[in-house]
Amino acid sequence: MEPHILVIDDEPQILRALRTILTAKQFRVTTASRGGEGLTLAAAQQPDLVILDLSLPDMDGVVVCERLREWTQVPIIVLSVRDGERDKVTALDKGADDYLTKPFGIEELLARIRVALKHSAQAQGAPNPVILAGPITIDLARHVVTRDGEEVKLTATEFKLVAYLAGHADRVLTHQAILNNVWGSADIDHTEYLRVYIGQLRKKLEANPDQPRYLLTEPGVGYRLLTDV
Amino acid sequence: MIGPYVFAAAAVALVTGLLWLFRASFSIQVIALIYLLPVVLSARLWGLGPGILGALGAFLCLNYFFLPPYLSFSVSEPQNLVALIVFLVIAVVISQLLGQDMQNLASVTAREREATELYELSVALTGLLDQQSITQILAKKICETFFADKVEVVVNGVPQAVSHACNDDNKLLPPKPDLVAGLASVRGQSGKVHVWRQKVPLSESEKKLLSTFTSQGALALERAGLMQNENRAQVLEESDRLKSALLSSVSHELRTPLSTIKASISSLRSQAISLDPEARRDLEAAIEEETDHLNQLVGNLLDMSRIETGSLKPQRRWNTLAEIAAGVVKKMGQAVQRHRIILDIPASFPLVPVDYVLMEQVFVNLISNSVKYAPPETDVTIRARLQGDQDALVQVINQGPHVPEEYLERIFDKFYRVTAADKITGTGLGLSICKGIIEAHGGRIWAENAPGCFIFNFTLPLTWEGALPQVPKEE
Repeated sequence: MEPHILVIDDEPQILRALRTILTAKQFRVTTASRGGEGLTLAAAQQPDLVILDLSLPDMDGVVVCERLREWTQVPIIVLSVRDGERDKVTALDKGADDYLTKPFGIEELLARIRVALKHSAQAQGAPNPVILAGPITIDLARHVVTRDGEEVKLTATEFKLVAYLAGHADRVLTHQAILNNVWGSADIDHTEYLRVYIGQLRKKLEANPDQPRYLLTEPGVGYRLLTDV
Repeated sequence: MIGPYVFAAAAVALVTGLLWLFRASFSIQVIALIYLLPVVLSARLWGLGPGILGALGAFLCLNYFFLPPYLSFSVSEPQNLVALIVFLVIAVVISQLLGQDMQNLASVTAREREATELYELSVALTGLLDQQSITQILAKKICETFFADKVEVVVNGVPQAVSHACNDDNKLLPPKPDLVAGLASVRGQSGKVHVWRQKVPLSESEKKLLSTFTSQGALALERAGLMQNENRAQVLEESDRLKSALLSSVSHELRTPLSTIKASISSLRSQAISLDPEARRDLEAAIEEETDHLNQLVGNLLDMSRIETGSLKPQRRWNTLAEIAAGVVKKMGQAVQRHRIILDIPASFPLVPVDYVLMEQVFVNLISNSVKYAPPETDVTIRARLQGDQDALVQVINQGPHVPEEYLERIFDKFYRVTAADKITGTGLGLSICKGIIEAHGGRIWAENAPGCFIFNFTLPLTWEGALPQVPKEE
């Protein structure tokens, strides 16, 4: 059965476009134009993925996000015209899995949908101890990272960082979340640690550290490890 | 006020005592002469009143102690009576002359002091244009000049400034001031000056001086109000001018990509036009490119309004310039395809404390400006170097045409464009936004013509609140 996507957005043009495109891509699509309606539909139909706008007429999208997280781990992709860092960080902290700023390219959205669906399918099975990202393999159980089959020597912190990213592969992780998990809550404002260690990781793992393909920066928000889908 | 009279009486008594001891040695004429001393002294030192008192006292003592019959006010010899009266007249006249002189001197000194105080006040008020500092200076000067305990300046019922005496011993003052002076002003600003002075009430001349002070203050306030209104009018006019410039620029600028999109879409949908696959792809690419362009334009407009309203506050974090620049180049995609973008940022380049999203905007605007004017297939280089140990110098170098020297600064002004608007599209907003963002980061931006190329330069501080980034080392 094709995956079921619930789109919550108050702009009819966006709803129409997404319904057409997603249906053509073999998804089953339900739409809601208000937050309350979206929550009811989510509870009644148990969709496989939610696409959520932040500006809704009856409530803030962030609240919808929080309410959904009270009872479900369904992947949530936020679509919003708000491009301030704070809005993105708030939405991600409140449980959104991903964030796309309007206007967005449809290829980008489809890629994010694929990734989110894959991870929610995996989450239901056993956790995968080996993460693959192009030439990079990250073996969380054995604490080994290889590139093109060769083991890469990482410092303890570097491994902790790449392991955290790999453990939440393909999801946007905020600076605060990474710092909190890798360095501890006292250091959540020290983004400079992240810049330096991500730089070191890219040098060791990426073919061209200046144009990373796997350890991606989410401008102003955080980082994401792109894995093979 | 009693003091001088007591001193005068004491001087006469002292002279009387001394003379009584040596009364055998002096003739009556010498004694009378000596009595003039305390009189002259009193008049000179303490003024007219004590002088007259001294003269009368000397007259009585001379009569009582030294003119026969002694220890009596009666005078036996007529010539002594004449001498005594002459003495009195001389003593009184001398006192008067000296006393008046003293008074004149005192009033001249007082007037001089008033003039000085007033001059100091007007100097202090000159050039002040805001109500707060004017009232503050006024309160302070009044407090100093009148030795007041406390002075409060109230404008339109709101206390604006308070000044306490410098030797304030924290004594409790009554809520009601000892004196209220109006702060007269022509244009409806009703102000008041409240003065507390517990020791001595203000004299008439002090009140007069105070009213001169307050009218000076009122004039200054009036001037400030007028200037403010004029400024506001200027600002309004300027923002009106900007708004209409913005509207005309934006509507032109929005229509250009919209027409491309509309034309492409309608031909793609049209049954009448048959397109080969390559033409379709071109049209589709144009649509996407122009949509991105529109989006960038909207972003610039938002940034502009944030800069205008002063709400642009960089969310600084330690960032790597290379990452920001590379991200921008990747994001700009098709827009930079016709040029070679070269990133020349050393791998060891230090972290800079900047707002990632705003710096992206700076690079987007500088790069899109470069690719707009530089001929296709040329290089656009993004270079970062250290400038001293305090600043990073970032350059965006293109091989575009030079800009006449006299316009180099003006290209960062809003809506300023060197080329005619119909030749190359643009709102004239991009560079002024760069300027706003760089300056909000504490940097500087400028452009220069160099041999064979055109360079945008900007600096960024390497420290954040005076500190460099601290990253813990391991192993």
